[in-house]
Amino acid sequence: MSIAYLRLESLRQLKNVRSTIFTFAVPLVMLLLFGGIYGSGGQFDNVTGLPWIVVTTVQMAGYGGMMAALGQAFAIVTERSVGWNRQLRLTPLTGMGYLVSKVVAALVVALVSIVALIVVSVIVFHASLSPAAWAMAALGLWLGVIPFALIAVLIGQFARPQFAQPLFMVVFFGMAILGGLWVPLSVLPVWMKDVAQIVPSYWLNRLGQMGARLGGDVLEPALVLLAWTVVLGAFIVWRYRRDAARQ
Amino acid sequence: MNATSTTHAPAIRLTDLRKTFGALAAVDGIDLTIQSGEVVALLGPNGAGKSTTIDLALGLADPASGSAALFGGQPREAIVAGRVGAMLQGGALLPTMTVAQSVALIAAAHRHPLPVWEALERAGCTEIARQRVSRLSGGQMQRARFAVAIVSDPDLLVLDEPTAAMDVEARRAFWQSMREFTDAGRTVVFATHYLDEADAYADRIVMMAAGRVVADGTPGEVKAVVSGRRIRASFDFAWTAEVEAELRELPGVRSLEHRGDVLTLVSDESDAALRTLLSHHDDVHDIEVTAHSMDDAFLALTVTPSVEPVEAGAGPRVMPSVEPVEAGAGRAGFDGIDPRAHERGPRIATRPAIGGLS
Repeated sequence: MSIAYLRLESLRQLKNVRSTIFTFAVPLVMLLLFGGIYGSGGQFDNVTGLPWIVVTTVQMAGYGGMMAALGQAFAIVTERSVGWNRQLRLTPLTGMGYLVSKVVAALVVALVSIVALIVVSVIVFHASLSPAAWAMAALGLWLGVIPFALIAVLIGQFARPQFAQPLFMVVFFGMAILGGLWVPLSVLPVWMKDVAQIVPSYWLNRLGQMGARLGGDVLEPALVLLAWTVVLGAFIVWRYRRDAARQ
Repeated sequence: MNATSTTHAPAIRLTDLRKTFGALAAVDGIDLTIQSGEVVALLGPNGAGKSTTIDLALGLADPASGSAALFGGQPREAIVAGRVGAMLQGGALLPTMTVAQSVALIAAAHRHPLPVWEALERAGCTEIARQRVSRLSGGQMQRARFAVAIVSDPDLLVLDEPTAAMDVEARRAFWQSMREFTDAGRTVVFATHYLDEADAYADRIVMMAAGRVVADGTPGEVKAVVSGRRIRASFDFAWTAEVEAELRELPGVRSLEHRGDVLTLVSDESDAALRTLLSHHDDVHDIEVTAHSMDDAFLALTVTPSVEPVEAGAGPRVMPSVEPVEAGAGRAGFDGIDPRAHERGPRIATRPAIGGLS
């Protein structure tokens, strides 16, 4: 697979209007809203020891990255329904290459989303962190997005066009709630906290925070993410091979 | 000349290919060899197995049994090498992209593609290059898909009903582009149910019905086998029983009739019949020799023998107990392509009655 193909494919996904609304506009509005309400006081978050505005920024950037990656599901569903997939099978692009191009595109869109939200936060709310800490926060979030890129590919492979939207919503809300993105885990039952430890959305946020603090135990999130990556990747390859034959 | 004397592997070789969907045998034992440089029409009604055969030939579906080879190797190898371009059923471009973007993206996936502008130009897409795919007309869409199919600069083009949804003018323009592209000796296989298209643009027709090949030969051969040629001529002699008996003795005559001073004669060996006719009668003039239309050939070969319509005066046309016709020596090839692969006359397969088909 060529770099030229990856570049064109990723650029194409970046230009997609629908994904732009999901990935940039929504988290941006939420950031401006929450940041405007709570962020200006300069309070610190007790759990992480980070400025509150930084925690909010990481959360929203993670949310944006997750949306960006998951949004690729729609692109794949469309490609399958019109038969673009069949066209690609007449090129040297392999099943694995196709998968990789989709994951790369999802990660590129996610990275742009993450960086854009951090930049806005720094400019608008003067969220202060060293450049290295911001870079590590972005990197942590970006790595945390990988399973979502794979989930998007999987939804794209399985869902019929009319079911893509509901499936996307179920996955998105499920992940957001289980991972404690919306409701702090501290107010949820204990078993929910245990569940959270194995969902990628929990670690997405945590990895971002670890990056921002320039420290933390990365072994557990690394193992969880690796497990998700391997399992999802195996499913995707299996499904692609089954799709390969038209019937 | 036979196939083994050529040093190059055939562009396509299908060996006892079979594919079933549930109880239905979509492809039911196809053996087919297509040499480089041939322009072959796969002709058959919907459900004849044309698209499935193409999918199997390209390795896009796995056969239940048998094998498919392109250029002597696995189909996938030929695709990876960029030697195969195709317009497939159910393969379309993305509505949100422009024509040029679509071609560029596919080009980027290939290893040694044509420049994007060149593929666009050759497919007659220069003017619609910046249009979104969603805004294209049916004919424009097919041209855009043709540009995508040729961007790898393939040796083999497989076109599954390429002119579907085109009007007459668009079809003509499409085949013009296709001819220009195939002048360099490329192999083309196209599926169609436009009989005139197969007749006009292919130098070999493979007719399919119910997942089998029912006829294989040049358009002329296939038509000649089925129905012979029709000779019409005006005559100045008196029509008598002796003359009629004499005319019936001409080579290959199937039917003979006259109306006024015009006779119509259908013969399997029209050349010989005409020669004899002219040597015996110098009072025959305004001679017209026409092939039966492709529709005649098509109907005759794809309708089950038991329900074969009896043509007036022709007697029942018994299904394919046909002598092989001599290979079309000296026949002009399609746009200068050497029709070297026709080492044999048309093979007319006897078709068993298949329940539920006709």
